[in-house]
Amino acid sequence: MKKVIISLIMMFGIISSTSFAGTLVINTDTSDAAPKEAFEYIIKKFEEENPDVTVKWNVFDHEGYKQSIRNFLNTDPPDVANWYAGNRMLPFVRAGLFEDVSDIWKDSGWVDGNLSENMEHAKKSMTIGGKQWGIPYTYYQWGVYYRKDLFTANGISVPKTWDDFVAACATLKAAGITPITIGSKYLWTTAGVFDYLNLRTNGYEFHMDLTLGKVPYTDPKVQAVFDKWDELVKPGYFLENHAALSWQEALTPMVNGEAAMYVMGNFAVAPLKEAGLRDSNLGFFQFPEITPGIPMAEEAPTDTVHIPSKAKNKTDAKRFLIFMSRADVQEEINKILGQLPINKNSSVKKGDPFLKAGLNMLNNAYAMAQFYDRDAPAQMASEGMKGFQEYMSNPDRRQKILERLEKVRQKVYK
Amino acid sequence: MFPTPIHQRPIVNQYVYKIFLPISLIIWLIPIFGILMTSIRGLGDITAGNMWGTPSEFLLFSNLYDVFTNTPMIKYTLNSFKVTIPTMLGAVALSCMTGFALANYKFKTNLIIFFIFIAGNFVPFQILMIPVRDLTFKIGLYNTITGLVLFHVAFQTGFCTLFMRNFIKALPQELIEAARMDGASEFRIFWKIILPLTRPAIAALCVLIFTFIWNDYFWATVLIQGDHAMPITAGLKSLNGQWITAYHLLSTGSIVAAIPPVIMFFLMQKHFIAGLTLGATKG
Repeated sequence: MKKVIISLIMMFGIISSTSFAGTLVINTDTSDAAPKEAFEYIIKKFEEENPDVTVKWNVFDHEGYKQSIRNFLNTDPPDVANWYAGNRMLPFVRAGLFEDVSDIWKDSGWVDGNLSENMEHAKKSMTIGGKQWGIPYTYYQWGVYYRKDLFTANGISVPKTWDDFVAACATLKAAGITPITIGSKYLWTTAGVFDYLNLRTNGYEFHMDLTLGKVPYTDPKVQAVFDKWDELVKPGYFLENHAALSWQEALTPMVNGEAAMYVMGNFAVAPLKEAGLRDSNLGFFQFPEITPGIPMAEEAPTDTVHIPSKAKNKTDAKRFLIFMSRADVQEEINKILGQLPINKNSSVKKGDPFLKAGLNMLNNAYAMAQFYDRDAPAQMASEGMKGFQEYMSNPDRRQKILERLEKVRQKVYK
Repeated sequence: MFPTPIHQRPIVNQYVYKIFLPISLIIWLIPIFGILMTSIRGLGDITAGNMWGTPSEFLLFSNLYDVFTNTPMIKYTLNSFKVTIPTMLGAVALSCMTGFALANYKFKTNLIIFFIFIAGNFVPFQILMIPVRDLTFKIGLYNTITGLVLFHVAFQTGFCTLFMRNFIKALPQELIEAARMDGASEFRIFWKIILPLTRPAIAALCVLIFTFIWNDYFWATVLIQGDHAMPITAGLKSLNGQWITAYHLLSTGSIVAAIPPVIMFFLMQKHFIAGLTLGATKG
C-alpha cells in the first residue's frame, strides 16, 4: 500500500513538473462574446504552433478586471495580461509592474520583419519613457458617420475643413435636419467630440499634456477648443434633448433621417445597418481639419497584451507577444472582433467600406489618442465628462465649468 | 372589516368602478405588454425607434435561440433552482418549528423572541450588504450557492415565523390539549396534528418564498461573482453586447426568467388564497 502511494506521489510529481515547464498563464478581460471567441481562437492557434506550450487562460469579467489587475499583477502575476494602450498603462509602467518589451519592437529577425515599421503609427501610444511596454492587437476608428442621402439632397459634399463642416451644419439645420446627433446620458459620447476638437485645434502632444495633467483647463488653448465647440453648440447643431438619451437611443433620429451625422466609434455601424441603413446611404469621414498644418492624430482605443514584470514564464510570454503582433494573427482576431488590425500588412474583411476607410485613416495617422476616459485618470475623466455634458446643455456656464475642472485637475494630479 | 361589496354600493359608484377598473388594469399591464412586444422584435426595430408599433419581423424564436446559445442561460436557470428550492425548504421547515414553539409554549422570553423575529423584517437589507459580504467571505462561503442559500434562509425565516406563528396560534387549542391528554409526545403533536392543519399556510408560504428568492437580484450580485453560481436574474445582464444594450434579448430573457414563479403560483393558487385569508377571519 505504501509503495502504491509513494509511486502515485512520484507520478504526480512528474506529471505536474512536466506540465509546468511550458505553462503559459494568460489573464484577459474578454468576457463579452466576440472578444472571448477571438481569444479562444488565437490561443488554440498558438498551442497548435507551439506544441511544447500549454496555455492556462483565465477570463475575468470585463468591469471587474479593472480592479483585479491591480491585485494579480502584484500578488499572483500571470505570464501575459491584456490591457489598454496610452496613459491607461502608465500607472503599471511607473510601478514597475509591466515588463519592457522594446526588444520585440526592435527585433527584425523574426517572420514578419520589422515590427517598428509595421506598427509605426501605433508606437507612440505604446511608448513611455522611450521604451515600449506591450503589443497592440486591435483597435477601431472614431470619426463622423453620416447620411449620404441627406448630404446629397442638400448639396453638401464631405467636409474637409472646419469651415466646410460648420457650413454643412448650417445648411442641414436650415433644411430642418438636426446636423449632429448625440446621446450624452452616460456622458462619454461628449468626450469623443472634445477629444477630436482638441486634437484638431491643438494637436496630439497638447492633448496628451492635458490628459496627463500638465496643462491647466483654464489655458487659452483649451479656451480655443471651446470656442470651436461654441460654433456648434450655440446655433443648436447638436440633437436637442441629448442629455436624456443613451448613445444607442441617439441612433434613432439618424435612422429616421431626422439627423445627419454622429461623431462615434465604428461600433455604431452594426446597429445602424441592422435598423435598415445600407452602404449606399451611410458613410464615414475623418473628422475635419481645424488648425491647418497640425498633423492628423486619430481617436483609436487600442487593446494590448503585456508581460507582467513578475511573470514566471517570460520566454513563452514573449513568444506569445510576437505571435500576437503577426499580420496573419491580427487579421484573424479582428475578423472575429469586427475591428481593425494594427499591423500594416494585415488586411480587413473585404466589402466593408467602414473598416477599409478606418484602416486607411489609421495606417496614415500621426498618432492615436485612446479616448478621454482612457487617457485621463478615472477621477479626472469622470469630472471632465460631466463638465462637457453640462457645457453642451448650458454653453454659457463654460467659464465656471473650466474653473471647476481646473480645481479637480490640481487635486487629481498632485 | 372587509369593504362593502361593489354591488351594494350606490349606482354611480358602480359605474365609476366599471369604467376605471379596465383603465387601471391596462395602465398596470402596459409595461408587461411592452416587454412581450419587445421580445418579438429585432434590434433593428428598436434602433429605428419602433417601440410600440407593429414589429417589422417576428423574431421571438430567434431571440429565444440567442438567449439560450449566446449565454449560459440554462446554467443560470439551474443555479436559480439550486438557490431557490433549498431556501424554500429550509425557511419553511425552520419556521414551522419556530412558529409551533412560539405559538404553543408559554415561557418567559417568548414574546421577546417573537419580536426579534419580526424586527428582523424591518431591517433594510441594503445596510447588511457589507457585513454579510465580509461574513460569507470569512467563512469561506463567498461566491458559492451554499452561502447564498444560508443567507436567504436566515433572512426569510423571520417573516415565515411571523406567518406560521400567527396561523398556528389561531388553530383551536383544544386539539392540542386533547392530544396531550391522550399522551402524545410534543413531536408527535407537531407532526401529526399541527403540520396537516397548517398545510394551506405552508403551501402559501412556499409560493411566496419561491417568488421572493427567484426574483432576488440584490444578493445574487453581492454574494456571487462568477457564472458558476449566478442565478438567472443577475445572469440576464450578460445578454448585453459589448457596446449595445440588447433590449430584445433582455426582454426575451426576462420572460423566460418569469415563467417558473408564474407556474408555481398557478399550481398552488388554491392553497395560496386560502392560506393568506384563513387566519384573517379569526382575528
